[in-house]
Amino acid sequence: MLKTQASVLTLLLILASNIFPVVWAQEKTLVIAMNSTPKGVDPDIWVPGQIEATVNLYEGLTSYGTRVGSNGKLEVDPSKIQPHLAESWTVSPDGKKYLFKLKHGILSPFGNELTSQDITWTYEKSAQQKRTGQFMASVGRIEKVEAVSKYEVRFQLSDANRIFLGALTLHLPAIFDSVEAKKHATADDPYATKWLSLNSAGFGPYHLQSIQSGQQAVFVVNPNYHFKKPYYTKVIWREVPSPATRVALVRTGQVQYAEQIPFQQLSVLRTDPAVKVESVPGFGGATVRMNPRYPPFDKVKVRQAVAYATDYAAIGEAVFLGQGTRSRSMLNSPIAGAVNAYKYETDYNKAKQLLTEAGYPNGVDVTLEYSTNWWWEEPLVLQMQASLAKAGIRVTPKKIPSTEMLARRTINVWTVPFLTHLTSSFVPDPSYNMFLTAHCKGSSNVNANCDAAMDKLIDASAIERDEKRWLSLIEQAQNLQADSATFIETFLPGTHEVFAACMKGYLWKPHNRLVWKDLNCSS
Amino acid sequence: MSATRRSRIIRFLFFRFVVSIPVLLGIIFLTFMLIRIGGQDPVAMIAGPVADSAMLSAIRSQLQLDQPLLKQFLNYVLLVSQGDLGVSWQGGKPVLSEIKQLFPATLELVFLSVGLAALVGVPIGMRSALKPNGWFDQLTRFCSLAGFSMPTYWLGLMAIFVFFYLLRWAPAPMGRLGVDVVAPTFVTGSVLIDCLLEGNWSALNSAMSHLALPVLCFALLAAAPIIKQTRAIMLEIVGSDYVRYARANGFSQKTIEKIALRNAAGPLLTFLGSELTSLLAAAALIEYIFSLSGLGQWGLNAILLGDFAVVQGYVLTLALCSMLIFMVIDLLVLMLEPRN
Amino acid sequence: MLTKKDSSAIVNCVNYSLGISRRSPTFAVGLLIVVLFLMLALMADVLSPYSPTQSFSYKVLNHPGDQFLFGSDGNGMDVFSRVLHGCRYAFGISIPAGLIMITIGVPLGLVAGYKGGLVDEVLLRILDVLRSFPTIILALAVVAAMGQSLTSMVLVIGVLDSPIFARVVRAEVLALRSSSFVMAAIAMGNPAWRIMFVHILPNAILGVTAQLPMRMAWAVRISATLAFIGVGIQAPTPEWGAMIRQGAEFVITGEWWVALFPGIALMILVLGFNLLGDGLSDLLDPRRRSVGK
Repeated sequence: MLKTQASVLTLLLILASNIFPVVWAQEKTLVIAMNSTPKGVDPDIWVPGQIEATVNLYEGLTSYGTRVGSNGKLEVDPSKIQPHLAESWTVSPDGKKYLFKLKHGILSPFGNELTSQDITWTYEKSAQQKRTGQFMASVGRIEKVEAVSKYEVRFQLSDANRIFLGALTLHLPAIFDSVEAKKHATADDPYATKWLSLNSAGFGPYHLQSIQSGQQAVFVVNPNYHFKKPYYTKVIWREVPSPATRVALVRTGQVQYAEQIPFQQLSVLRTDPAVKVESVPGFGGATVRMNPRYPPFDKVKVRQAVAYATDYAAIGEAVFLGQGTRSRSMLNSPIAGAVNAYKYETDYNKAKQLLTEAGYPNGVDVTLEYSTNWWWEEPLVLQMQASLAKAGIRVTPKKIPSTEMLARRTINVWTVPFLTHLTSSFVPDPSYNMFLTAHCKGSSNVNANCDAAMDKLIDASAIERDEKRWLSLIEQAQNLQADSATFIETFLPGTHEVFAACMKGYLWKPHNRLVWKDLNCSS
Repeated sequence: MSATRRSRIIRFLFFRFVVSIPVLLGIIFLTFMLIRIGGQDPVAMIAGPVADSAMLSAIRSQLQLDQPLLKQFLNYVLLVSQGDLGVSWQGGKPVLSEIKQLFPATLELVFLSVGLAALVGVPIGMRSALKPNGWFDQLTRFCSLAGFSMPTYWLGLMAIFVFFYLLRWAPAPMGRLGVDVVAPTFVTGSVLIDCLLEGNWSALNSAMSHLALPVLCFALLAAAPIIKQTRAIMLEIVGSDYVRYARANGFSQKTIEKIALRNAAGPLLTFLGSELTSLLAAAALIEYIFSLSGLGQWGLNAILLGDFAVVQGYVLTLALCSMLIFMVIDLLVLMLEPRN
Repeated sequence: MLTKKDSSAIVNCVNYSLGISRRSPTFAVGLLIVVLFLMLALMADVLSPYSPTQSFSYKVLNHPGDQFLFGSDGNGMDVFSRVLHGCRYAFGISIPAGLIMITIGVPLGLVAGYKGGLVDEVLLRILDVLRSFPTIILALAVVAAMGQSLTSMVLVIGVLDSPIFARVVRAEVLALRSSSFVMAAIAMGNPAWRIMFVHILPNAILGVTAQLPMRMAWAVRISATLAFIGVGIQAPTPEWGAMIRQGAEFVITGEWWVALFPGIALMILVLGFNLLGDGLSDLLDPRRRSVGK
């Protein structure tokens, strides 16, 4: 019965495609299978699915250049920052004032031109909301943003720093079409946050057409996009919560992209001619963190014992199925200045010896808490349990709800003694990454990593303008971190994107989300 | 309809309505307290990964989560009585509009499944009761017990494996419509009805093929208790005095069956009603596996994430629905009662 | 050395069992299944080739074959050993839950049925609420709130089913309350508690016994469902529902064994309990058909 229905449907489709060939030729639709429909598209408010959408709706003043990598493929070059929405910029001698000239004639889907008013409005909105946008602004040490003329904007920084230009490549603080957005402002909601969470108004390549929560979202190309027109004029985002279903869909050609595919599927998919797998190591690392405020982790020897008792090879095989890259430091390439600081290898005898020296000759009992934020958390925890036991460290795994994990690992709360976490960030800048993860004030510091010497090194590197001294500071910081062993560095899971076989043009961006505008499936 | 009968019905409805309010309040109270006593802190979820403690406490007071529980509850009840069920914390959509959008999908699934199960199950149950302990009876008893014992989600998974992965007969379990069809405009929310209203045949086709597997699985499991209960009710009636009296008086088998059916209708309807309500809740698992984006999937997700307003709205909807179903069923039974 | 008395006793036993089996094959089959699984649970350590939580890091997701009878799961653990140990958890949850049900449900039903009054009213209200409340959601919310532990799951399941158990008891008691021997006992001046526990309870218990295996079947099912959704069971505990949860991820890409075997085990045990309950109700009162859930 189902088969005849399917053939009737096919017949209808063939008829339709014959009657409307012109329509079909002009409109190229990309169908993607994602974990959940975007629950909102305001880049300042994080909700599931938001970032994956907004990186395609909003663009920054600058962008990263590209280079040809060691494998002959085109890749992002974090050291090359070029103008994007901006035409050019000048910087004052003390490095604290930047004057940007905007390109003329950049139009939003609503037909409004990009002016300096849009930029200032954006930063005002983020400052008022006090969420992610404001955080990113503070990362670049932005103190003031003012419009100088119609196409000129001045940024006043509190300190000269290297991160600022890199931070401007991001999609947030998003540069909104403020003329359109203001139409939806109300007395209670002067920055139209309600409207902007369900609608898009930007200068990026795509524009949100509709969202049916729990089912799909439809994006259409910005007809006024200033740069090279994307191949795909329409993107249909389907919500498919089950990863295995997403795999099946891309294999049978019903979608051209499926996100977050489990690793055991990847090796099978690489051999499937209907599918193409693009892999990059990325720079996010799966780590296990120890909070030095809780015994027994207050003793550095215990932490080092854990590092020696971890079976890295087994983790690489069992958890990451040979697809990950071993993490060599808290910073990994393509971040500039990354060195091989993490010198621990599996050595159970050394681990036992260190434990005895620390005062635990009969081993120790600990609880390793994890959640459901990343797919590899549970398998990693189970491997840790198995291998640490060989050195007398008896681990009890404990899964907690993701909301509880988020609440307890927050900066200045820090009540999780032993946990899993992914080190990652949007900007591939070493000082920024170290600040986020290892500085006492870093928002991704989840395990109370508060060491005065480390903080000093990180702060110094953020404002160091001499290249040589800068690299040396970064190296020192990495070595210091590795010696303190508060992070167990395991593997970089890598980003493995699964496409239909014909897909070309994939370029990994440091925000680690799929950018649609470069993709094409022309034969 | 006689005047006394009419007044009986009105009295019945009024009484039920009055009684249902405290029960409803009790359910709301229970849900409200349950989700809050645990260690779930939704504030972190709302704030996102780059939040500090100042941001968290600001959000907490903004959402009035730092008020005493009883005060929060009274606030909530007040808002509900005005029709405001709150907002989901995953994106800010109002709960009531989400319910209006998602509930028809669940209803569609449940009604189709129960309908199919009843259509198949009631005759089987009856036949097996008319010849108790015969081979047909033993077989159906065993099969229905097997149906009782199968976990819903497991059956769904195995069905997907066999019919999708191995045989490629069923479409991928990714929702109610395929990617290549245009969705019908939202009128009732039930894909089948909306497609019919619009005359959108390709979408109707796609919708039917996507619903086939979930409805079959769900119906299979719903059929088991229906068969068992129909058989039990029929046996009770067939062994009862007035049927024996009818048989003794020489009425034909067909007439006896008709009498039996008329008497069985009451308890059978009552049973179907309670089945319907428990299946409304069980639909959540089927929706999850087949990505049918119905109310159950949404509510389940919300419970695990601690999205309070959504959970309360979900439970409220189910409770209201089941109370309504019970009221309707009891009314029907009252009206069907031959002694009236 | 068997004396004549012993051997005739054994023969009597066998005859009795065969007689019961002939009268109710469902009872016999059900009992067989439950006892079989109980044996598997008790002897799980002996029968398992590997420890259920031993991870073979280099043998993740292996097909059923020589080394792993039922294959290996996503963490490299042997599915066969895990299924065997899962029996322990099935009984470990259903037996205490059943005991809780009896401890709360029987007295509650007795008092509600015999004395009536406030207790009866409250019980009926609770039953009303439970009727309209999606039970699985209730269980889910409570376990999610109380934390991931076996104890909380057992408590929740036991307490949740007690009112339903109490309702059955209450129905029995109501039927017996107006019987002649109870009237006689009242006339003789017996105190209420004595009537309830000495006179009514032994007669009510028969009708109630058939319900117990059904309730235990439900307990096994719902604990597996909760584990499938992801609450109540901490990895790497070899509980069947949790195993199906992991297996669900692999089914669509063809690694069917991780979900299939725990599901079959679950189904057979629940079937066994249901058959047992059904058969018991047949044996104890052939005219009445149980109205189990």
